[in-house]
Amino acid sequence: MKSSTFGKPSLGVRIATHLTLLLLAVPYMLPLLWMLSTSLKEDTQIFPREGAATSALALENLLPHPIAWHNYPDAMATVPFGVYLKNTLLLCVVNVVGAVLSSAIIAYGFARLQFRGRDALFMLMIATMALPGQVTMIPTFALFRELGWYGTFLPLTVPAFFGAPFFVFLMRQFFLTLPTELSEAARMEGATEWQILWRVVLPLSKPVLATCALFQFLGTWNDFFGPLLYVNDPQKYTLAYGLQQFMSSYGGKWAQLMAASTLFILPILVLFFLAQKTFIQGIATTGSKD
Amino acid sequence: MAAKKVAQEDKVSVFHALKKRALFALQVLVAVALLAWVVNPSKEPRLFPERIPVRFWHMWSGEWKDVVDKIVARFNASQSRYEVIALSVPSGSADQKLLMGVSGGDPPDVMAQWNQVIPAWAESGLLTPLDSLMTPNEWEELQATAYPVALKIGRYQGHLYGLTTGVNVFACYYRPDHLAAQGARTFPATLEELTELGSKLTRLDEKGQITRMGFMPMGFNIYAPIFGGGFFDRTRNALTLNTPENLRALTFLAESRGRYGYEQVVKFESSLNTGGFAIEWPFISGQYSVTVDGQWRVEQLAKYAPELKYATAPIPPPQGGRTLAGFANGNFMIIPKGAREARGAFEFVKFWSGVDQPERAAEFYTWGGWLPLSPKIAQTPVYKAYVKQYPQFQTFLDLLASENIQPTAPVPFQVLLTDRLTRTEEAAVRGTATPKAALLALEVDIQRELERRKRFGL
Amino acid sequence: MKREHLGYLFISPWLLGFLGLTVFPFLACLYLSFCRYDVMAPPVWIGLGNYQELFFNDPLFWKSLQNTLLYAVLAVPLGIAAAVGLALLLNVEVRGVSVYRTVFFLPHIVPTVATSVVFMWILNPQIGLMNNVLGLFGVEGPAWLQDPQWAMRTLIFMSLWGVGGSVITYLAGLKDIPLSLYEAARCDGAGALARARHITLPMLTPVIFFNLIMGIIGAFQYFTQAYIMTQGGPQDSTLFYSLYLFYRSWRYLDMGYASAMAWILFVVVSTTTFVVFKTHRRWVHYGS
Repeated sequence: MKSSTFGKPSLGVRIATHLTLLLLAVPYMLPLLWMLSTSLKEDTQIFPREGAATSALALENLLPHPIAWHNYPDAMATVPFGVYLKNTLLLCVVNVVGAVLSSAIIAYGFARLQFRGRDALFMLMIATMALPGQVTMIPTFALFRELGWYGTFLPLTVPAFFGAPFFVFLMRQFFLTLPTELSEAARMEGATEWQILWRVVLPLSKPVLATCALFQFLGTWNDFFGPLLYVNDPQKYTLAYGLQQFMSSYGGKWAQLMAASTLFILPILVLFFLAQKTFIQGIATTGSKD
Repeated sequence: MAAKKVAQEDKVSVFHALKKRALFALQVLVAVALLAWVVNPSKEPRLFPERIPVRFWHMWSGEWKDVVDKIVARFNASQSRYEVIALSVPSGSADQKLLMGVSGGDPPDVMAQWNQVIPAWAESGLLTPLDSLMTPNEWEELQATAYPVALKIGRYQGHLYGLTTGVNVFACYYRPDHLAAQGARTFPATLEELTELGSKLTRLDEKGQITRMGFMPMGFNIYAPIFGGGFFDRTRNALTLNTPENLRALTFLAESRGRYGYEQVVKFESSLNTGGFAIEWPFISGQYSVTVDGQWRVEQLAKYAPELKYATAPIPPPQGGRTLAGFANGNFMIIPKGAREARGAFEFVKFWSGVDQPERAAEFYTWGGWLPLSPKIAQTPVYKAYVKQYPQFQTFLDLLASENIQPTAPVPFQVLLTDRLTRTEEAAVRGTATPKAALLALEVDIQRELERRKRFGL
Repeated sequence: MKREHLGYLFISPWLLGFLGLTVFPFLACLYLSFCRYDVMAPPVWIGLGNYQELFFNDPLFWKSLQNTLLYAVLAVPLGIAAAVGLALLLNVEVRGVSVYRTVFFLPHIVPTVATSVVFMWILNPQIGLMNNVLGLFGVEGPAWLQDPQWAMRTLIFMSLWGVGGSVITYLAGLKDIPLSLYEAARCDGAGALARARHITLPMLTPVIFFNLIMGIIGAFQYFTQAYIMTQGGPQDSTLFYSLYLFYRSWRYLDMGYASAMAWILFVVVSTTTFVVFKTHRRWVHYGS
């Protein structure tokens, strides 16, 4: 099961694979490394001097020298980084909990329960993924405004509790692959569907739950339009908003902009490395089955 | 022997359990601390909680934001009724935010703007006419004293919707040392001469790439009035797009760029450090010999390149063109409909713009390097001292007073018009369309928009 | 409680959200598409006016539709090909393969805004990394994002950077192919290429199908990169449909017009998806 090619590939194949992968890895890693490198450069190292059209790409220009750490505090000083981070984390936690829990419940309904119109409803749910966000943006705004939610975090958190179609889709696929014997046994012992979901299915579904959690975290972390539209108080802004704020005023200040981008990406990278194993396993077991 | 081993294993497992428990406790502790920090709401600091709050949005950041904060602090110190609370909104999305704010019933009380929003927003009933907040006398006096162009920027269909706190006009900045090296003692008197001088000042490297730009005219809206054209006829209240004058201006822009090739100029410009901050303006590092820019550069040059020897001059007219002509826009204050504290907001607008006390406001204008609302402010000792200190500023004051300066046409689709003007210029200078064809396409395009608006009663 | 009702109870959060946050805004948008509406004043009915304008009087509408289709037609298949290729490579059991997997997956989780900023910097025609590296080989790179000939190609090319997400799904698909199939093929004397063509590819079609649908939906909603990097230029060469829709709604405040555009987009996307679904029995291989 683990290996789809049979036995160990020959030495030649392995070397060729290594070389190809290494070669391809360069363009995939370079942008991030270049971002990091630029974020530590002085402007004098980035821009050509008077009278020269290009800064010739000398090898010594790939790496920053001297290392300009000050770009980081400089970038952080322009927006209230701590406040934004805090708000972002709050939104992320609430959204992750809301979206993962509700999607799991919905997915269980679609995967394990029989009811009339189930498959049609499921298709309908999938179809809503094709809806362009701009279609619903204006009326949704009007709705939240009427509810008196404008200016609060509610429009940014409550929708998560209605489930996310993509997560429901992934979780349903995963639940379908789980053996039904355990649930049946529990049912024999008189467990309700609700209990089966919590005691049997969810404990077995950690990979897919982690995957959805990470996706939701990313989505909330990156959401710029939501806070822009609904939040009116500088004490409630988020990091994505801060990055945009930074970009619109520091357009050509590449070093600082890269420092700000690095700061913005860093927590996500850390999170990814922490959850990496569960996460990749999570996607790997969901996308494939029909 | 066996017992000993068991005991050892016990010890290990106890130790293991302890470690596990400690780790768990640590995790819980971190989680709780994080949660407490996250959930604990941060309070907006109010310096004067007893006063009526006036919420002020603006789009400045960095060093500009400091100037704004200084003015706000001055206002808050000047009286005891209101407290202005400033909020810097990212300029790219400020308009959207304001629209949502107004329709959400929670707009700011006052906003500093520079986008082309007045006609469209006034048409939508989004703005409070500022003249309605003035006494008839005040309004009369403002009309009699302000620079005409400053009022034109904020006016739509007879009402004043934005009060200008800084007009922007554009003129040539040049390096006398570069000019002298070419044997030019004085600045050229005609656009033709300037063009010729510019091509002599440009430097190329051995690969034919530009390393210094002598003079590269850009901006249809700047050059159309200089050629005697423009996009709006105020006497007929109509757009004037496809005119011989505008065609001459567009042809001039296309030819100037064509001399080097579009690509070459793109490459040159993308190598420049254009962070929007004075320190890195390529003019300072000598990559431009003559360049056209707004008056705010004077202030920045004084701050960041005090040693630089430079001079300013209006863009010289071409044969048959107009002197002291060009484009103007500006920063202006608007008060949205539904603002809770329109009165307080207007007090702040008056304070900043200097409608009530020119002497006091003159200082603010010098902080930002802004052009004043009225000659009264320009005549104050503070402002005169400022111009004396920076003689290069005089060029811009001359332009400010000129009748040949034109702001964007006051049509309700200003943004669309500006986008289409940019597109027209791009097509012409890239050479994908002849200036004539580009201008014709522009006219057709705008005609279509006009008809659409008429049909739908927009 | 009857099992029948239990099912509805479980999916009720979605049902509620669907009615409140999807159906309502969706119908509201349909209504607005027959109106002129500028966010502030109440909407005014103008019948089919917006649709007439779009179809017969707005060259930019057609241009943006054309650009978006071009992007979808090129970027989606390219993305699939690249992802399948990478997955095949990453499926070979070599030392450190999990490190490689991380390397290729990482870009997928970098926020689009940050990606766009970094690529703008890399693609700077004069001082960017890309053209400097090309310069080492004596090639003079174009102005990637400022040249109408290149801007669209650049964005398509850039989209390949984010294929890591789908690579993982293909990897999973590869792991699911029973070894016995390969062994049987080998016994029949099939070479490596034949095995790839007759076993690997057909067995991967369900995953390809999944990614194709997701890719089409994503391509039609392509927005952020163009908004940040090119704003639709140069010369409208990267004016994507969603971008133009955004301009119409928030830049020109033509909400009615934009609503009509949104509805057309929805019809186009759902029709395309439907057609792909219709064909899938013909080429998607289920079970063994």
